[in-house]
Amino acid sequence: MAAPTTTSTPAHTGRGGSILATRPLMGWRTVDILTIAFLGAALGIAFWGWGVFYNGPLSAISFAFPPMQGLLTGPWFIAGVVGGLVVRRPGAALFCEVVAALVSMIPGTEWGATVLVSGIVQGLGTELVFALLGYRAFGIAAAVLAGAMAGPFAAFYESFTWIADWSFGWKLAYAAFLAISGAVIAGAGGWLLTRALAAAGALNAFPPGQEQRESRAV
Amino acid sequence: MTSSQTSTPEPPASSTHAGGSGGPRRADEAERAGGRVVLDGVTWRPYGRREPVLRDVTLTLEPGERVLLAGPSGAGKSTLLRAMAGLLETADAGELSGSVTLDGHAPGTRAGEVGLVLQEPGAGIVASTVGRDVAFGLENVALPRADMEPAIRAALAAVGLDKPLDTPTSALSGGETQRLALAGALALTPSVLLLDEPTAMLDPGHAAQVRASVEGALAAYPVTTVVVEHLIGPWVGLVDRMLVLDDDGRLVADGPVREVLAAERQRLLDMGIWVPGEPNPTPLTTVKNSPNWTDAATGSGKNSPNWTVEGEQSVAASALTIERTTRLVDGSTRTQPAAVLGEPLSPAAATSTALVGPSGSGKSTVLLAFAGALTPAQGEVRAGDRPVADLTSRELAAALGWVPQWSSSTIVASTVLDEVLVASRALGEDGDERVAEARALLAVLGLDELEGADPRELSGGEQRRLAIAAAILHRPPLLLLDEPTVGQDRHTWAAVVGLLRDYREAGGAIVVSTHDAALIERAQTVVELAPPPRPPEPPATQRLLAARAGPLALLAGAVLAIPAGIIPDHWSVSLTVLAVQFVLAVVALTAVGRGKRPSGRVRRVLFRMCPGALGALSVGWSTWLLGGNDLTTAITAALRVLIIVFPSAVLLPLVDPDRLGDHLAQRLRLPARPVVAVAAALQRVHTFGQVWTEIGLARRVRGVDGWRPVPLVRHLAVVTFGLLVRTLRLAADLAVAMDARGFATAARRTWFAVAPWRWPDTLVVLASLLPIAVAVVAPALLTRP
Repeated sequence: MAAPTTTSTPAHTGRGGSILATRPLMGWRTVDILTIAFLGAALGIAFWGWGVFYNGPLSAISFAFPPMQGLLTGPWFIAGVVGGLVVRRPGAALFCEVVAALVSMIPGTEWGATVLVSGIVQGLGTELVFALLGYRAFGIAAAVLAGAMAGPFAAFYESFTWIADWSFGWKLAYAAFLAISGAVIAGAGGWLLTRALAAAGALNAFPPGQEQRESRAV
Repeated sequence: MTSSQTSTPEPPASSTHAGGSGGPRRADEAERAGGRVVLDGVTWRPYGRREPVLRDVTLTLEPGERVLLAGPSGAGKSTLLRAMAGLLETADAGELSGSVTLDGHAPGTRAGEVGLVLQEPGAGIVASTVGRDVAFGLENVALPRADMEPAIRAALAAVGLDKPLDTPTSALSGGETQRLALAGALALTPSVLLLDEPTAMLDPGHAAQVRASVEGALAAYPVTTVVVEHLIGPWVGLVDRMLVLDDDGRLVADGPVREVLAAERQRLLDMGIWVPGEPNPTPLTTVKNSPNWTDAATGSGKNSPNWTVEGEQSVAASALTIERTTRLVDGSTRTQPAAVLGEPLSPAAATSTALVGPSGSGKSTVLLAFAGALTPAQGEVRAGDRPVADLTSRELAAALGWVPQWSSSTIVASTVLDEVLVASRALGEDGDERVAEARALLAVLGLDELEGADPRELSGGEQRRLAIAAAILHRPPLLLLDEPTVGQDRHTWAAVVGLLRDYREAGGAIVVSTHDAALIERAQTVVELAPPPRPPEPPATQRLLAARAGPLALLAGAVLAIPAGIIPDHWSVSLTVLAVQFVLAVVALTAVGRGKRPSGRVRRVLFRMCPGALGALSVGWSTWLLGGNDLTTAITAALRVLIIVFPSAVLLPLVDPDRLGDHLAQRLRLPARPVVAVAAALQRVHTFGQVWTEIGLARRVRGVDGWRPVPLVRHLAVVTFGLLVRTLRLAADLAVAMDARGFATAARRTWFAVAPWRWPDTLVVLASLLPIAVAVVAPALLTRP
């Protein structure tokens, strides 16, 4: 390896040893865009499936204390978290969540076209956390925060549509339950999912794949 | 390099090279006279590998040269092609040193300068119709729409693909898809054409068509060409020069093709390369010859030579007609005959049955039916006295093993050894002996050194051998194999074929779908499948009024329901708004024009409203609970949900996902690249169902699936994960193919398809504003003192 290096890929590292996206940060490669689109599409189908499942447990919970149904909403925030963790560029989280919402909308869900709006709002929440961290931190803490932040954003939007007649206290409780669900399912779950995808060799072109591979060179 | 820049005085000389049509284009090409590729000391180590995949590769390709690149599997042939295209870091990350130039600059400086055709048919297909797909590269270089059609037709003519431009890409065979990919590359008049095993996945007939297309295309576009192919024989006449890479990624031979073949024959054979004119290798003796294996298998004695398959083979099929239903993104389904098995088939112990026929004749489908994953429309597959689909997962694992064509997405375990043992463990047969047998089996198949590796990191050929080991270890009486020898070199081929022979001689029954003449020759029964007849196109139906609107207007109509739902604060207003929406829906769903009346309009809307109705109940209930049991507020809240959801149920099924991208980019001016990526993803969503079925089957066949809640949840999670992995692979391959067609620099692109805003669009939006107006005005009219 003494040959002169004409091209090299210096790995930028951020907080907690996270490997960052190649520079320029806004220089989306084709594989970045396509991966987000495909990831979003696949997760969108999963979103749709969860929507079908969701009605059973949801009805049960709303009999007890309706704001608790927020606990079941976390899975819908996962696309943003995973998109952000994989590509690590500005807009990745929002883009992934919106594609997932779009794809889940087309076969038809109980929320009709509003899932697209939900996707945008939730994606913005997730994106905000990655942005506030300067797109430099992609550890589990960042993931949990990003997943949690989708909660208040979703609650704010829904307070105009689905839960408009709830008391302020209920709305607040709902936002908290959404945040908890987002933190655990979308945040921690999304982080684990990203790691598993990297371990499966599916993210070789991305920072998580690089972290995985450099940690155990074969 | 300067020679390539001189404007050539002899275009006529080169145009005499091959007569016929396309003369003007060829002269044009000759003026370009590019295509000189120079690699200087290229070394590439992907992150996570200790050893480089390419080592110090130095070579020069002259303009117009045709080169065959050979080497053992895993030697880095595809990697070298990607290096020549400047696409190494498109879908991978690593350390690259040395330099690659094309006509003196970095390859890919001009979009589409390097054309690339990938191994898997369809891996690089971007669009839903033939014309659009060829146009993709032209769009990326911002060719005006008016100039596209001639270029598209010329490229399609060069590859001999005589199809209307609006033919769906999904209706093409594998061979036609590869020719389409070639046309897509040629449309950009590349200086270099790189073909990465373009015929590896095709049957001999289609492979020959593709080679003929390449030959014809090279006559029309005489560009520098590099072909990687496993079976090199048929290409020898088409190329001038041959390069050989060894296991270490070094260039070890380079010269005129016949000289290299003669001089390096022994070395090539040692590498396992299919040297033309050489007979097939002798299948290895796998079971009997391996001391570990027989020791373990018989529990004692080095002299017990035989491995016996116990358990009775009882799976048999009557004559079958199998249909496959594709669920489209819009929720509708399309059912097509996928395979017809004309005669009953009951594979007998100690025999091998080969399913043969061109791609698309339903060989894989018949295997899936044998494994109980598809229920035939006519006929039945039974295991003893029960339909095979009724077997439990463990019973199925005990009855048969299945080796899928796509072994990468059906991996269940996280190490190679565990993967082999999955079915044995599910059947409770995982003692030390079985583990020793597993190791012996891996050794036979050349996978022993990878025992602890993650199976998903293996190469395609390795994964296929692993899938064979995993299906055979627990010795089911029936083995179903889908193209088991594709992509194997001479050494691994001999191991696979030997193992299958030993399994059969031990009493196993084999059903194998294959194009491999040697496997077919070894079969006792050969079943020839013909492609099932395509059903006639359904007669044109009348069009719904709202279907005349484009996707954006329909989406807007659905979204405008949100304010219409939010504004009313009394149930009487809500009810009025809902009534207006209902009238509008009746108008929107009215069918006009010629043809049959479309069926299922009302059913579809009702079906889509079911979850919405549940949501309305839930919201109404929670509001009632909170609002001190006030029924009025609760009903208002529930009606609000219905108002918001109802227009979506009516309008969204009419959105055409294929047109959505065009409209988002051209009407809303959203950034072009993300929109194209989303359109490409949407176009593939309908294939996810099939992938899901296969992954699910892979688990079921190996005894690790169940209907109790915990296994079910785990099953869903694992299958979804497998789908994600497969999807990400698709995206990575597609990224390489798209970048080869100029997508990386296509921030400003043109569009082949128009996306007009017409009066029906305006009408839909206006009509959708009406409920909002009613919501605003109605309170004044309804609540009189």
